[in-house]
Amino acid sequence: MKLYDILDLISIGFKADRFKTLMSSLGIIIGVMAIVVMLSVGEGLYSGVSSQFSTLDLDVIHVIPGRFSFGGPPARSPEEPAKFTDKDTKLLENIPGVRNVAPQTSAGVIIGFRNTNASATLVGIDPENEHDLKTKISQGRFLTESDYTSIVIGSGVADGLFRMRISPGNRIRIYYEDNYMDFRVVGVLREEESSGIRAGNINTQMYVTHRAMKELLGRENYYYGTFQVTVDDPASVDEVVDRIKLDLKRYHRDEAYDATTARDMLSSLMSILSMIKYALAGIGAISLVVGGIGIANVMMLTVKERIREIGVMKALGATTRDIRIQYLLEAGLLGVVSSIIGIVLGIAVSFAMGSLAGLPSTIRIQSMLTGLLFGALSTVIAGVYPANRAAMLDPIEALRSE
Amino acid sequence: MRVISLSDIRKTYIIGDAELPVLKGIDLSIESGDFLALMGPSGSGKSTLMNIIGCLDRPTAGTYTLLDRDVSTASEEELAMIRRDRIGFIFQAFNLIGRISVLKNVELPMMLKGVPRDERRARAIELLESVGVAHRADFSPLNISGGERQRVAIARALANNPEIIIADEPTGNLDLKSTEEVMDILSGLNREGRTIIMVTHNPEITKYCNRVIRMRDGRILDQSSVEQS
Ligand SMILES: Nc1ncnc2c1ncn2[C@@H]1O[C@H](COP(=O)(O)OP(=O)(O)O)[C@@H](O)[C@H]1O
Ligand SMILES: [Mg+2]
Repeated sequence: MKLYDILDLISIGFKADRFKTLMSSLGIIIGVMAIVVMLSVGEGLYSGVSSQFSTLDLDVIHVIPGRFSFGGPPARSPEEPAKFTDKDTKLLENIPGVRNVAPQTSAGVIIGFRNTNASATLVGIDPENEHDLKTKISQGRFLTESDYTSIVIGSGVADGLFRMRISPGNRIRIYYEDNYMDFRVVGVLREEESSGIRAGNINTQMYVTHRAMKELLGRENYYYGTFQVTVDDPASVDEVVDRIKLDLKRYHRDEAYDATTARDMLSSLMSILSMIKYALAGIGAISLVVGGIGIANVMMLTVKERIREIGVMKALGATTRDIRIQYLLEAGLLGVVSSIIGIVLGIAVSFAMGSLAGLPSTIRIQSMLTGLLFGALSTVIAGVYPANRAAMLDPIEALRSE
Repeated sequence: MRVISLSDIRKTYIIGDAELPVLKGIDLSIESGDFLALMGPSGSGKSTLMNIIGCLDRPTAGTYTLLDRDVSTASEEELAMIRRDRIGFIFQAFNLIGRISVLKNVELPMMLKGVPRDERRARAIELLESVGVAHRADFSPLNISGGERQRVAIARALANNPEIIIADEPTGNLDLKSTEEVMDILSGLNREGRTIIMVTHNPEITKYCNRVIRMRDGRILDQSSVEQS
């Protein structure tokens, strides 16, 4: 029997039983959809994350009070978070291999500019130690140790928050809880590609000296929120991390603190990503198994319904091979059509997730082909048993049946 | 020329521990151009014998030579090939496939043989015309009368131009007029030279046949030959 004739016969069956066909293919559609979404979102996350990390400094260590946590609920520890002060700055500076220690304290604040308000992040810094930031000035100047009411702002604050651009020389008012302070803008930073790993997006941040920050926060005891420690040699970064953790015990025996590198953050992020990937893969696999069972069931039903027809086909000269191929192809075709529907839905869902949840998604031809392969494979496997049952039917029994 | 030769054909079913002999040693020769009627009470083994002759079933013992070939030892695949190319089946229950059109039903044996689409479509229409149901080509077999169904079944049986036609009670479900139409067609096919073996309970229609064989309890009782008109 020729292939197009078999396909012709099969399509007649599909058309006659549209509803049953659709219902039986639902599991495969969902399974393939999950696979395509998994691959697209997974791929997107990976490429998004690794492109951010390719620009990341490998010689920087972040030291924070409390414990680092990624993804899951914030890590809790029975200890109080460490209260970092200048004593800690000195201690870190004295560790061998450390080139620079930049203490920072940040807070969410409200900016007032020409009678309009907006929110942004204010960071208290030590101008002398912010070598990196200093090079990013595009307009005006950077802060100095003696500055008090001077402020440097990110490009997003300058351009994006108010109808009017904020330029060096402008005055802005910053509110924090019941307090406020007036600042004069002295510099604007260059626009930077955002990096997911830094304390925040530097474009939307503003910088003042710790002195001013302490005044604004109105705290008797002002503590640093993070240290950015730069090492001389990126290769020694892990040693320095261990040393920092050990030495800080001296002042913070019963308090929680943590030190981590960009690479550590990368690997924890990656492990979260692969967990997400495996979860999606699991959903895909389960749907395919369930879908396969569904197809096998419907095929068994079809074979039962067509027992007499199969007997007639055999009487007319169909071989067991003819019948087997017909029913395997019927399952396979159902698989291919369902997979294509699943792929289309998967692409749609990936895009929807991309724009709704801000998850990047990269749709590649490989993802589609993988979906097609698994979808078709599971239906063909599901079709083997029913097709064999049909092929092995005794024509006389089959012709006698109702 | 001898087309069919059965020698001591036996068929025994095993039901549980018991053996049920259905054919108890059949010896029969059929010549090319014979129109043979097989008669006998229900359960005497007529259909079983027809299925063996039609290569749908195999005997438990005995030798069956079909068109100079010993088919007792042929493989499944070879038997399917013989059914497709050399034998046309006509059933009491028509056995048309309801979910495809009349035309497709007639095309089916040619599809199985791999005849190109245009060629087989043309032949199917020709065959439907020859049995007078071409106007039903696009109908579902479920929507035509019994007489029309059996004529479609005859067209289908002729699709690959077989030399032997096996008809198991072809008029069993038909009224008088349809019976006559169907018998006229079969008789015409016989005159063209086709060998026809037909089971019937109706003594009236044996007038179309040149041989009548009676069976009882798995054996052939007597054979009578009629002078061909
Ligand atoms: N597959 C089978 N298993 C057991 N007994 C069968 C089977 N097929 C037919 N028979 C029995 O064989 C006998 C002959 O049946 P059949 O050839 O159909 O007779 P007829 O066509 O003359 O009415 C019947 O008694 C029937 O019950
Ligand atoms: Mg019978």
